[in-house]
Amino acid sequence: MRFGATMLFVWLVGVAYAADEAPPGFPDDVQAFLGSYCVDCHSGEDPPAGVAFDGMREAGSVVQHRRAWESALKMVQAGGMPPEEQPRPNVDEIDGFISRLRAAFDYADRHAKPNPGRVTMRRLNRVEYRNTIRDLIGVDFDPSEEFPSDNVGYGFDNIGDVLTLSPMLMERYLAAADSIAHRAIFPYPPDPRVRRAWHRGIDPRVDDYPQAAEEDEAEGPEQRELREAIVVQDWRRVSSGASEPVESGPLYRDYPWREGADYVFRARVYAKSAPPVRVAVLVYGEGLPETASEDELAGLVGEAPGPAMILKTFDVTSDDRDEPETLEIAVPPMAQWKGMALALVAPEDGEPQGEIWVQNLELEGPLDPRPDSHHRLLGRDEDEPPAERTREVLTRFLRQAYRRTPTADELRRMTSLVDSVVADGENWEAGIQLAVQATLCSPKFLFRVEPDAQPQGEGTQALDEFELASRLSYFLWSSMPDDELLDAAARGELAANIEAHTLRMLADPKSRALVESFAPQWLQIQRLATFAPDRELFPTFNDRLRAAMLTETSLFFESVMREDRSILDLIDADYTFLNERLANHYGVKAANGDPIEGDEFRRVSLPQGQRGGLLTQASVLTVTSNPTRTSPVKRGRWALEQILGEPPPPPPPDVPDLPEDEQAVGSGSIRERMEIHRKNPSCANCHKEMDAIGFAFENYDAIGAYREKDGQYDIDTAGEFADGTQFRGAADLKRIIAGRKTPFARCLTEKLLTYALGRGTESYDRPAVERIVGRLEADEYRFSALVAAIVQSDPFRKRRGAMIVGDAE
Amino acid sequence: MRMTKQISRRTMLRGVGVGLLLPWLEAMSPLAAFGNQSSVGVPPKRLAFVYVPNGKNMADWTPETEGAGFDLPPILQPLAPFQDKLLALTGLTADKARANGDGGGDHARAMAAFLTGAQPRKTDGANIRAGVSADQVAADRIGHKTHLSSLEIGCEPGAMAGNCDSGYSCAYASTMSWRSSTQPLPKEVDPKLVFERLFGSGSDAQRLERNTRRKSILDFVRDDSRSLTQRLGSGDVRKLDEYFSSVRDIEVRMERAKTLPPVVVPDVEVPEGPPEEYEEHIRLMGDMLVLAFQADVTRVVTFVVANEGSNRPYPFIDVPDGHHDLSHHGGDEKKKGKIREINTFHTRQFAYLLERLNSVTEGDGTLLDNSMVVYGSGNSDGNRHNHDDLPILLAGGGGGTLKTGRHVRYPAETPLNNLWLALLERMDVDVEKLGDSSGVLAGLS
Repeated sequence: MRFGATMLFVWLVGVAYAADEAPPGFPDDVQAFLGSYCVDCHSGEDPPAGVAFDGMREAGSVVQHRRAWESALKMVQAGGMPPEEQPRPNVDEIDGFISRLRAAFDYADRHAKPNPGRVTMRRLNRVEYRNTIRDLIGVDFDPSEEFPSDNVGYGFDNIGDVLTLSPMLMERYLAAADSIAHRAIFPYPPDPRVRRAWHRGIDPRVDDYPQAAEEDEAEGPEQRELREAIVVQDWRRVSSGASEPVESGPLYRDYPWREGADYVFRARVYAKSAPPVRVAVLVYGEGLPETASEDELAGLVGEAPGPAMILKTFDVTSDDRDEPETLEIAVPPMAQWKGMALALVAPEDGEPQGEIWVQNLELEGPLDPRPDSHHRLLGRDEDEPPAERTREVLTRFLRQAYRRTPTADELRRMTSLVDSVVADGENWEAGIQLAVQATLCSPKFLFRVEPDAQPQGEGTQALDEFELASRLSYFLWSSMPDDELLDAAARGELAANIEAHTLRMLADPKSRALVESFAPQWLQIQRLATFAPDRELFPTFNDRLRAAMLTETSLFFESVMREDRSILDLIDADYTFLNERLANHYGVKAANGDPIEGDEFRRVSLPQGQRGGLLTQASVLTVTSNPTRTSPVKRGRWALEQILGEPPPPPPPDVPDLPEDEQAVGSGSIRERMEIHRKNPSCANCHKEMDAIGFAFENYDAIGAYREKDGQYDIDTAGEFADGTQFRGAADLKRIIAGRKTPFARCLTEKLLTYALGRGTESYDRPAVERIVGRLEADEYRFSALVAAIVQSDPFRKRRGAMIVGDAE
Repeated sequence: MRMTKQISRRTMLRGVGVGLLLPWLEAMSPLAAFGNQSSVGVPPKRLAFVYVPNGKNMADWTPETEGAGFDLPPILQPLAPFQDKLLALTGLTADKARANGDGGGDHARAMAAFLTGAQPRKTDGANIRAGVSADQVAADRIGHKTHLSSLEIGCEPGAMAGNCDSGYSCAYASTMSWRSSTQPLPKEVDPKLVFERLFGSGSDAQRLERNTRRKSILDFVRDDSRSLTQRLGSGDVRKLDEYFSSVRDIEVRMERAKTLPPVVVPDVEVPEGPPEEYEEHIRLMGDMLVLAFQADVTRVVTFVVANEGSNRPYPFIDVPDGHHDLSHHGGDEKKKGKIREINTFHTRQFAYLLERLNSVTEGDGTLLDNSMVVYGSGNSDGNRHNHDDLPILLAGGGGGTLKTGRHVRYPAETPLNNLWLALLERMDVDVEKLGDSSGVLAGLS
């Protein structure tokens, strides 16, 4: 897709050709090219590949036979056609043919009937499934180990056409729904768990006492004597007169707790000294709603194991080991705590020392063992009449699960499913549980359905508000719409306020999905996960470096998104994110000259040039290399495809690879060896630019470390673009690409649009792409401007009928 | 990873050589009735396809002489113990893997055309299409006789990133089985999940309860979604059809389970997730294939050892370079040597599989004798990307229907799909034509 940034285009609705600009006929040189090189074979009744040029000699045929022409262009460009045994055009003839053909394509695109395209119904991919379950149910279910991997089309794993559903996956969906519904809803809640600690399991541990009993020393009689003084049978002594914490208390115990849940704490005790003996029960830990003052704590014997709150003080009155008493106190719901403690209240001056014996401490709870998801799905109002409650719960749940208002019929069916479970003698909760499980197996949940009133029609229609809400949320969050989106859709106010919603959604932490799903797929760095550079040649490469490379790219992309920077910063930036491992790999220090230390990543300022921007990050440089050496061809191709949006055609068949045995390696630098590309005319066309771009990165080895020489060879990073613009080295190249703005902006637009739509971009999308790119400049190429322009584009907001228009498939 | 326990034991075993049985398989009692020599009835025939990518170093693959008693070329050496139980077939062609006007993309096409004999539509995503694959034809016809119609396994998941091959969706290069011309069947790469798929999990009571519940769910969702079709375009309807046919599949399996003899769950250690070491992974998936056949859970399996175009390095056999990079050897002898090493590594794994199959007694012979196991690639020479003279082996006795121990050379351009017709015929599946077949391949018996 190459057409000038400044080119104005005319937008005429419904008219194939405009009056203001005559359709370019195929000039004589194209006719001559076809005549000399093509028609001999490609004509008549049964032409090769079904392409006959004798019926395609008018420029208008690029509309009718677009696919055929596109493939003709690629074949000629790639040197695949005309075949070798036939007379072959020279480079100028090829260039002329290609540029004329492109001009005809451009004209046709600009004057084509508007077509927002049609997305094939998308199944949730694994990431979307996981996120949707998280947001819908509140359960973390990781399908990456259970579901088969999703197929990739157009570079992304969310493409409707290739997201197939096999019997195996259906089995997994059933199993997943089963497991999720059972984790989320507890129809028959189990009894609350009781955790009881006996004398040895209570802190401070008796076994650690006395400290003198060192590891290599057998316990002597003195130690045993001390211990036996503290523990008698299964009772433990706590005495305000003792000096060691193990004996004076407080006794305490850490517990695994759940936020906001109710618990009951109990201690089984009797008094040894004259009753009553005062004791206090404390909760301790960081983040308590309130804490006892120092004075209050000073009134207790020993030190609490952290900030603490006194829940209650008791008078222990029983002095009979055979009839001990149980101190019991409700632990209120708290956001955060750590454990429970039992302390003696220090005797007032003149009062005798207090002594109690403790048999065990116990914590019961959460008193409601059902998870939050249970209450979220079923509501807390348990007094409502069942029928009302069913309707309420299902209406809310189905709206979220189907991402639209459920129909009366759907509600009725689902209600009868619940009723049938109850009729079988199960309780209401079990009925809802089955309804949830069934919903998770429904195509209305598993697919993002966009139904049409007239599916086979040809007309274009705007998506309805709920469909738009889903497109937005799966684009930006890889998850279902939240209530705010659904509410706006229900009110019919989403489309009108789409930009505000988009900005809100980008600011939400859930937009990290773009960093995790879009960015690595666009950059193709997921392959790094299994990439294995030669261990002998690259001994510094290991899993930690691999992880650091991925983290850098992820943090960097996220910074551009979160700080709403220019997308051009992705190409050339003066900062990045490094930890010690990666900083050493790059040979980069902090701005003040200090070395960067530790595993933590931090933002690091970079001098312009050597690093900065995605193109010179180790993740990208490594995945575009071979395991044993750099590959300027792969790097060049990557830049053309992922950054400049000009994917080169595949190589013609029967191309010999570079010689690489020792002798050949000795015969010249990689650059010299690749000169073969330029000598061979069928290679030169594409490789001229591709190799030149790749060579600009030769200062980075196959795992992205900087180098001045390639083994014994000097490195020459000079090259030029097809239009003659010269560059030397990566810094120069980055500056030029960032400076040109449009080609990269267009490329990123197409990638992001593909990801947003779940389909490849087609020739009829070009006007929309140009419009998006055209909007960016005014907004300084901000990331949010790109996203906002995409969600407001026709392909995103509209859909045509399923009737195929134009080119037959 | 999580395989440590098994790895350590297997690693110990590996040094001893391929001929050694894993104790947990060796100890197995016969799983299906025909495993028992005293039982009546003829053991069924089984069909498996094992795919290896990027073609071969053909000079070191192709036997020099035809007929019986040929000398094993270097790559086939590991198969020496089974030479009398296999056929080397040369000269077969997958014409639909060729460009035929579609330009680059030989890897994607090689895989997609291998079992289908159909020209894969060149698309990066929209409207993917190849043809029904031979295994699925068999599954369709004889699948009702077993609990699972077919099993698709492999060692590499579908490609994770990027366009896979010159404008072809990644589905092509990573999928051997096509249920319909538009539905590629993904493969399972986790041995634990394969095991669960074959033998289920949980107690019988749990399974029964689960199935009852699932049955009512499937009934519900089918009824509830029926009206959806009317409001969808054709592409969407195709997706919904995939859904409904998958639902149907599961229901059929549950129905079948009522009439078929119950699956005997083998008394073996349930495998854990995919092993980190590639060789362990291949062998463990091979073990799953053997278990599936042995317990007669299915009679049709496809096994993709590595995706077509795979650029996996093989440092554990001293080949640190990527397989695909190397396959473009440009005639370089050193690279060709490395390709030979990779090819031989793969045939060693195939030998392990054959050993496992051969160690299971069935009737008067072995499971291998009752199986037909194809091994091959849709590319011939990875450097040339040619799709004629493909490297193809056929191992096993096909229940006495194959005359093994020979090298058979076929005339140039003989469709590979003719071989599939010949195998389907032996599976009692009569098909007149499949993809580009021109007849039933002769010379096998």
